[in-house]
Amino acid sequence: MKKHKSLEHLDQDIRDHIERETEDNIARGMAPEEAGRAARLKFGNVTLVKEDTRRVWNPVWVEQLLQDLRYCARTLRRSPAFTVVVTLTLAVAIGMNTAAFSIVNAVLLKPLTYSNPDRWVWVANYNRQFRNELVSGPDFFDWRAQAQSFEGLAGYDYLDSTVATADGATQERIAEVSNEFWQLSGAQTTAGRLLRDNDQDSLLLTARFFERRFGSDPRVIGSTVTLEGRPVTIVGVLAPGFRFLLPMQQSFNDRREIEAYTPLDITPETEVRGGPTAVIHLAGKLKPGVAPGQARAEIETIQARIAKAHPEVFYGDFQVRVDPLQEKLVGSSRPALMVLSAAAALVLLIACANVISLLLARASARRREVAIRAAAGAGKGRVFRQFFAEGMLLAAVGGVAGLLVAYGATAIILRLSPNAVPRIGEVVMDGRVLAFTAAVSIGVALFFGFTPAMSLWKTNLHSTLKDGARTFSASSASLRFRGLLVAGELALAVVLLVGAGLLVKSFRVMNAHPPGFAPERVLVMTVVLSGPAYAGRSAQEAYMTEVLRRIESVPGVEAAGISNQFMRGVAGVEGIPAPSRGQPPQIVTFSMASAAYGKAIGMQLIKGRWTTDGESTPVLVINRSFADRLFNSENPLGRRIRVPGALGDEERYATVVGIVDDLKYSKLDAEPQPEVLVPYKQSPFLSGANVTVRVAGDPLVLAPALRKLISDIDKTQPVYDVKTLDEALADSIAPRRFNLYLIGTLAAVALLLAVIGVYGVIAYSVAQRTHEIGVRMALGATRPEVIGMVVRQGLGMALTGIVAGLAGAFALTRMMDSLLYQVKPTDPQTFVAVAMVLALTAVIATWGPALRAALVDPIIALRCE
Amino acid sequence: MSTKEERGRIELLQGTLDLLILRTLLLGPAHGHAICKTIERGSDDVLQVEQGSLYPALHRLIKRGWITFDEGTSENNRRAKYYRLTAKGRKQLELETSKWDKLARAIARILRPV
Repeated sequence: MKKHKSLEHLDQDIRDHIERETEDNIARGMAPEEAGRAARLKFGNVTLVKEDTRRVWNPVWVEQLLQDLRYCARTLRRSPAFTVVVTLTLAVAIGMNTAAFSIVNAVLLKPLTYSNPDRWVWVANYNRQFRNELVSGPDFFDWRAQAQSFEGLAGYDYLDSTVATADGATQERIAEVSNEFWQLSGAQTTAGRLLRDNDQDSLLLTARFFERRFGSDPRVIGSTVTLEGRPVTIVGVLAPGFRFLLPMQQSFNDRREIEAYTPLDITPETEVRGGPTAVIHLAGKLKPGVAPGQARAEIETIQARIAKAHPEVFYGDFQVRVDPLQEKLVGSSRPALMVLSAAAALVLLIACANVISLLLARASARRREVAIRAAAGAGKGRVFRQFFAEGMLLAAVGGVAGLLVAYGATAIILRLSPNAVPRIGEVVMDGRVLAFTAAVSIGVALFFGFTPAMSLWKTNLHSTLKDGARTFSASSASLRFRGLLVAGELALAVVLLVGAGLLVKSFRVMNAHPPGFAPERVLVMTVVLSGPAYAGRSAQEAYMTEVLRRIESVPGVEAAGISNQFMRGVAGVEGIPAPSRGQPPQIVTFSMASAAYGKAIGMQLIKGRWTTDGESTPVLVINRSFADRLFNSENPLGRRIRVPGALGDEERYATVVGIVDDLKYSKLDAEPQPEVLVPYKQSPFLSGANVTVRVAGDPLVLAPALRKLISDIDKTQPVYDVKTLDEALADSIAPRRFNLYLIGTLAAVALLLAVIGVYGVIAYSVAQRTHEIGVRMALGATRPEVIGMVVRQGLGMALTGIVAGLAGAFALTRMMDSLLYQVKPTDPQTFVAVAMVLALTAVIATWGPALRAALVDPIIALRCE
Repeated sequence: MSTKEERGRIELLQGTLDLLILRTLLLGPAHGHAICKTIERGSDDVLQVEQGSLYPALHRLIKRGWITFDEGTSENNRRAKYYRLTAKGRKQLELETSKWDKLARAIARILRPV
């Protein structure tokens, strides 16, 4: 420690002072010895004077604190096992809380990275009938021209489009945005320029895409690439930090990121009410001081005017929505993140209980040391400060280690689920995260200092000194308290495990596949046709037929098919009247499929027959949901269903020839929807398809060959999203998987900590009771009786905890209702299973100490006295 | 503690030691022992400096910037710190002195009303 310059030679000054005084005394006639004694007497306590003087420069508590910390570091080094266990426990617990908070911070707390993020809103016309949130082109232009609430309104859409360069073609997600977006968001480029008005056939790259696809070669700016068959010029590259933060629809559940931007090429001239119009999404920035509600009211007024002026257009089913952008983007992730944070907090509590239990054990082992310090003159305050210093040191080390754990944990999370939650890519250890960790560590430190200090407060230190080695009464009280702590720990672990158990069960429900559906043996990939060569129907059909022909010829392929959901619309069945006004119509999905598609994906035919690839009349197959919802008990076979066509086509009807069972083949957590399957050659749309291949062996072995086979048909047409159906299904519930992994991990840690806690307390109690056990055995207790006694003690503690935990879980799990799938938050099976698991682990945790108790040699135990 | 010899001496009021040290140093630099003696002699041995509080007081004044010190060698070749007043300390002394005068007058008026 740096000493102040003024303090140098203080000793000498004082010595000098006393010598002068002595000389004065001699001069006054005292004998030299007597003179020195008198001088020293007059000066007083030299040490005290020095201390008082130093205190002028260093507040005494700092000095004492440093002393305490040094002393702690020494004692902790002397008990490395204790230190390591405590540090690891804290590192994991604080680390998990930090990781959870850094996710909450990135997703929910940090403002969006656009300028004036709090004024951004998302605007939509909600269609009650189709339950979608879209805006038509003409409405957009009218709102933009008339609404006064907005600083600007930007229309956008996003598409998976083919980007072809000399290197080949890939499928990328491209956003089309109207130019207001660039001014409103405050986007910056690192090269070239942003998109601007009158830009046509221009492409603006994200930094990521620029690097991945073009190797960050600045020469590509100004060059031309092919987008969906038309040439576009690359005009610039966005700054690396720029992100697309506008909400994308749920059906785009793969949450791929936007790679490049093009202008939204609609104009008030092309968008005419009553004619074919674009359907887009809308985001905007409110003027300062305007509330979303005001903006909504204004658009409603405009919309009412439009509806009046255009009676030919039906506006009845629409409802205007203006929501804060951040809420719209991440609001749906909030419940899951709250549950995650709560789970992490429970783990921290459990960890603290464990550490405190250890600290109490240590405190009672250190009673003599404390008593000696007190006897040597340390005030009670000083002794307690010692405990706080220890708590501080442990929490500080735990906190720093926790940051490392959090850093690793978030890296793993981002690796495993890069897109499970919107904005999760923005996770960083910023100042707010560090402040959070510091606050948690300080809270923990106070907690740690306080409890052992309290446990010693009441004890009479002097009696401890007199008391010899063992003091039964006091430590059994502390043991009771530790037992309660561990019971509390178990209760918290039960809550977490029930939560995780419910998620696991939801997962099992989602993944319960019908017999015959073997997604791990099915390979899926997507082909999309673009460019003038495939504008015509016959070229498309020829391509698709060639795809099927090539794949079916590959050895190892059991069945192959193509399919595509080409439209959702109102069901129309001949002979069934359309629902009256105000009644919701049945919305059904129209898909096309080749003959062997059903066999390839594993759909079961329940009635009638499959369609073939060479039907002479319009036919289709419906699924069970369609049959149940539209035909009730009537026989659908032979009935005719309206098939929507491309624009301008006449309405066509096709006859039902078969019924297939419902199959969740695209989204595991969605309810089955009514669906019809039209033979692919009769489909009005054929510009893209999902290829489904069922293979005999491992589909990933065949994947590269199959992919090449298809892309060899025409290298300008991309084949992408090649994966097993299993993976595709898993991706469809990525957010749920994310929750399951995280909460499952937290629950596992909680269980582990609770087991350690039980073990620690029982082991300690057995060690304390060695003498007593010896006496019991000397008096005739058998080994099994001793084991039973110890296990009973542990089990009693465990049962208290488990019962309390089940009650807590019963009260708390409803919080996570929205995360569950077809499982009640109070699912009895899960509750019982968790209780059994915990009881069993408690028994296992007590078994070791119990055996040790049974091996106590009564002679030795008694001789210990 | 108090012996016969010490009867009639007054222990210093809290805070007045600082004032007296400043006043002593106005006469010129001095080492610790000399400061003590000056105060005691100057008050005809009525005021007694609690020597244990002298050094903390000196360091308090250094910390406030009112006095500073030089390392010097005294008569018989002993190293010693010579404390002296700073400009800031001089101003402080004036302030403290006028405050003390006011206080003394006020107390005197109460104790001996005319």
